[in-house]
This record gives sequence, structure tokens and C-alpha cells, in this order.
Amino acid sequence: MAEYSCLIVEDSPMMRQLLVFALARVKNLRVTEADDGVDGLRKLASARYDIIVTDINMPIMDGLKLVKRVRSDPVHKDTPIVIITTEGSHEDRQRALQLGANAYITKPIQAPQVIATVKELLKIE
Amino acid sequence: MNDSKGRKSGSSDSPPPDLKRERDELLHSISKGTRITEEFAREHERLEARLRELESENASLRAKVEADSAVRELLEKIERLETDKRELLSRFHAAEAASTEVSARVQEIEAEFANLANLFVASNQLHGSLSPRGVMRRIKEVLAQLVGAERYCLYLAGPDKHELVPIAFEGVSGDKVSPIPVDRGPIGDVFRSGSAAVNEDRDPSQGSHDAPAAVIPLSVDDQRVGVIAIFSTLSQKKRFDTIDFELFKLLGQHAAAALVSASLFAHADRKFPGLESFIDLSV
Repeated sequence: MAEYSCLIVEDSPMMRQLLVFALARVKNLRVTEADDGVDGLRKLASARYDIIVTDINMPIMDGLKLVKRVRSDPVHKDTPIVIITTEGSHEDRQRALQLGANAYITKPIQAPQVIATVKELLKIE
Repeated sequence: MNDSKGRKSGSSDSPPPDLKRERDELLHSISKGTRITEEFAREHERLEARLRELESENASLRAKVEADSAVRELLEKIERLETDKRELLSRFHAAEAASTEVSARVQEIEAEFANLANLFVASNQLHGSLSPRGVMRRIKEVLAQLVGAERYCLYLAGPDKHELVPIAFEGVSGDKVSPIPVDRGPIGDVFRSGSAAVNEDRDPSQGSHDAPAAVIPLSVDDQRVGVIAIFSTLSQKKRFDTIDFELFKLLGQHAAAALVSASLFAHADRKFPGLESFIDLSV
């Protein structure tokens, strides 16, 4: 059975915990957490990930910059990226998709939706 | 002389009468024998023909019987197969129904798990800090990130419990969140009654300061200490779900307790109470 790795980039400890809980339901998915975009890039530089789930609004480096940097990284340029946005941030969402994000989830997040989106992008049954 | 006695009284080229009679009798016998033989031969031929006919009929009947038997066997086989098919279909439908039921149950369990995860995370967050500011930030995070509240305010009751004083708010201007007398409006009603007020018939994103989407009483040890008023939710949040009501309950019972604990701890200069404070707790 293939094993997958997921990087969660989220500044809110509560949201991170919730995402970790949700993604623990996906079999053979190993989850790593990052506090913000910079921490996320650091973790991406030291390991290869099969999927990235990132918030848009974060201090230090936001999700948009992270998406842009990931798409220019030869190792992760094709790695699926799921962004988490609020309904009001329509422009951010469009921008993230233009920059190469693959899917988005709107807050307040629902665990089944997170699971379904990640499974679909990883092509897991 | 020609008489019937022949040889003694007739001419030499005529047989004597007795011989003639014998010859006639013989001829008659031969003729009769021939006729009988011919009759036997004809009868034999007729019987042979009849035998062939019967044999043919018999063969035909046997073939028919055999064919009927084969058809009967085939029909029986078809009947058996039909029965098997009905049974298999019935089992298939039963399995399909069971599978659908299991799928629905799995979905229910997944949803239940997601709800429990939300509650666990919210509870964990509320009690994960002993700084009043930290607790307040976490309460706001639960409201914004888990409930999807956009405009809200947390009020605490004044010392005389005559008015509710805004402690923290989000999405509303300061002039909208002045102290509220406890005997006025939907927020005061909830504080007095101790029962949450959630307008389930209306889109919560369309709530307002005068008609909040939800008002939750805050209690510490059965003592009402304040309320959280959610004036409106994010635009995509069109209704409150079961998990939201569970979160309201959790906030109502834990938010104020977490705030009070953090406040007392801050007032005690963040010093943990000595062991003597816990000695009399054993029962």
C-alpha cells in the first residue's frame, strides 16, 4: 500500500489540530505541520510531500506567496495544493488558483470535505 | 362307354372316372392349397406392412417421448435456474441494501467523528491557556473558525448583574456594542432565562445587532455570568447545524469558566496554588 505525505501550513493551532484530526482519517497519509509559509518552505526543502494544504491568511509569508514559491520549486512544482479561504476572500482564491493551487476549501471547514478533497487529489479510493 | 368307373368301361385315352375324380380332388386340393398359400402370403405381407407401420409408429412415439422428456428436463432446468436467479437477485438486493445501510452508517459515523473532533479541538483550545487574553483569542477563534461567526460580541454581567458589558467583539463598530441592561432586548432575555436563542428559520448570515442569529448564555457552575451574541455569520453559512448547537453548549459551559480561571490565575500573579489547596478535595 502506497504511503502519502501531507504538509499542513496553518498559523492557527486550532485549525491545524482540526486538519490533523480530519486527515488522520485518510489511510496511509502521514501529516506534517508548519506554522506559516516560511516554516512550510523550510519543511518542503527537507522532505518531499505528496500534497500541501495551506491557509491563505498567515503572518510572515501568506498562502499566495507559498503557492508561488512551491510552483517554482522543481521538486514540488506538480504537488497538489489545497488552499483554505474565507468566502469573502474571493480574489485571493482566484489568485491562488491562477498561481497553481489545485483546489480550495471555504471556512468554516468541514472534516468530510477536507478528506474528500485530499483523497481526490491523491487519487485514493 | 364313358362312365364314372373309367378304366373298366371307357375308351383308352380317357382316364377312368375314379382317377378323374381323384385327379379333380387333387387339383381341387392343390388349387385350394394354392389359394390358401396365396392368402397366407398376402396376409403375411399385410402383417409385415403393419409391423413396419407399427415399428415406425413406435419409433416415432419413442422419439416424441424422448423429445418430450428432454423438453421437460430443460423446463425443469430452466425452472431451477429461475429459482436460483430469484434467490441470487434477492441476496444481491439484500446485500445491496446492507451495503447502502453500511455506507450511510459510515457516513453518519464520519460526520459524528468530525463533530466530536470539532468539539474536542474547541474544548482543548478553550482550556489550553491560562492567560485571559489567550482564552479570549481562543474563544474568538472557535466562533470564527468553527462556528463561522462574522460579527459577534462577548458580554459579561456587571457585579450587580444589572447590565451586560461588552468584553470582546469582532466585525462590529464600537458604538454598537455599548453595555446592555439585562431587562432589555433579546440579549438581556437570554441572560435572564439562561436558554440560548437561535433563530433557526432565518439565514444566520442575515442576522443583525437588533435581531442576532444566536445568543448563547455563559455560565460558571450554574451561575450565569454573561452571553455571547452572534449577530451574523459568514455569508456561506446559511444555517446552523447540529455541531453548531453542540459548540454553543460547549462555549456556554466552558468559555466563561476558562475566562474566570485565567483571570484568577492572572490575579494570583500566575502562581499555582499550593498543595494545601487540594488536600481537602478527596472524597
